[in-house]
Formats: sequence, C-alpha cells, structure tokens
Amino acid sequence: MARTPARSDIHGTRREAVIGQTTRVRGRVSGDGDLRIEGNVEGDITVRGDLTIAEGGRATSTIEASAVTLRGELDGDVRASGVVRIEAGARVRGDIQGESVSLEEGAEFVGRLDAAFELPPELGGAGGEARRRR
Amino acid sequence: MASTVIGAGITIEGEITSDEDVIVAGTLRGKLVAKDAVTVEHGGVVEADINAGPVAVAGSVTGNISSNDRVDLQNGAKVVGNVKATRITIADGAQFKGNVDMDV
Repeated sequence: MARTPARSDIHGTRREAVIGQTTRVRGRVSGDGDLRIEGNVEGDITVRGDLTIAEGGRATSTIEASAVTLRGELDGDVRASGVVRIEAGARVRGDIQGESVSLEEGAEFVGRLDAAFELPPELGGAGGEARRRR
Repeated sequence: MASTVIGAGITIEGEITSDEDVIVAGTLRGKLVAKDAVTVEHGGVVEADINAGPVAVAGSVTGNISSNDRVDLQNGAKVVGNVKATRITIADGAQFKGNVDMDV
C-alpha cells in the first residue's frame, strides 16, 4: 500500500501502462492509454495511445496504436495512425503501416513498409498525397 | 519504482506472470501470478485469481486471492472470492464476500 502512484497518474492525462522486465502477458491488451513493454507480450495489442517496445522488450503481437516506437523485438504487424520509429537495436519481423515510418541504422527489419507520403510534382504527384508500397 | 503497471484505461484479457510488483489501475481478466507485491488501485478491476506476495486491494477483485504474505483489503475495496494468506486485514469501508483461510 506504500506504493500508491501520484493522483495525477490515475486521473491525469498520462495514463501509461508498463509491462515490466520480468513480466509476461499472454492475452489481449487493449485500452486508450499509452503502453510501454519492457517484458514479454504474446497477444494482440490495441491501444489508442502510443506504444513503445523498450530495449529488451519482446512482443509477438499484431499492434494497433497511435505512435509506435520499437527498440526491442517484435514479431507481428503494426498498424499505426501516427509515426512508427524502428530504432537501433530493434528486431522487427512483420508489416508496418503508419503515417510515416523511420528506420534507424542498426535496426533489423524483415517485412513490408506502407506509409503515406507526398510525391513531388515533377513525378506527377501534383503535390497531392499518394500511397505507395515499397 | 513499480515495474508493471496496468494503467487506468487499459484492459488485459489473459494471463500475467511477473517476478516483480504489479499495480492494476485498469482492468484485468484472466489470471495474475506475481512473485512480489500486487496492488489493485481504486478504480482497478480484477476478474481473476491472484497468486502473489503481499496483496493490497482498494479496487474491485472478483476471484480468489492467495498470498504467501499478507492481504490488505482497504477502504473502498470490493472483493468477491476466497482469501488465503498468513495475515489479513479488512479495513472499515471494505466490502468482502468469501471465505478466509489463514492457514493455521
């Protein structure tokens, strides 16, 4: 009972959930807050907030979230409404869909990237937005 | 610093196992096994059997609680299920329906 988090954690805007290093979750995770995975998750993840797989974290999941930052291991697809960052040290196997996707040097990635971007006018994009697969 | 936090607004359906502290302020359905302390915050909902070290409940638990240490049902707690622990407190304002096994 000594470890009650500050009131702002419960009622405030920041409602982060953390799966700690030695914690293992088998099942569905859903909700409207942020989620940070430092441990192990096997099962689909649907959050309205941001999702982070920290260094050492591991997920075997289909992920739906706002912004997604990957620094650990992911086996599964990502559908993000925001930015997807695959940072150095990450190991990702799956298809990534996001508003924009960044892949940092030192990250391992096997899969497909699908991000919306603007084609320059000289390529016939007329400045308009196009969806491209590469 | 708490290690695993199921924040308010987060729902987990499945099984959680952990070697460290678990704080539930959101919803958990399934099973919870922790080697260390489990805290169910006010507003937290657990529909699962809990197997852990010390357990403190200020939220709602439907399921059996088994602890190798103590169980504290705090003011505002609502617990339906059996409680097994070496030491148990039930605070004024806690609702509890179930059996108590203090392993004597």
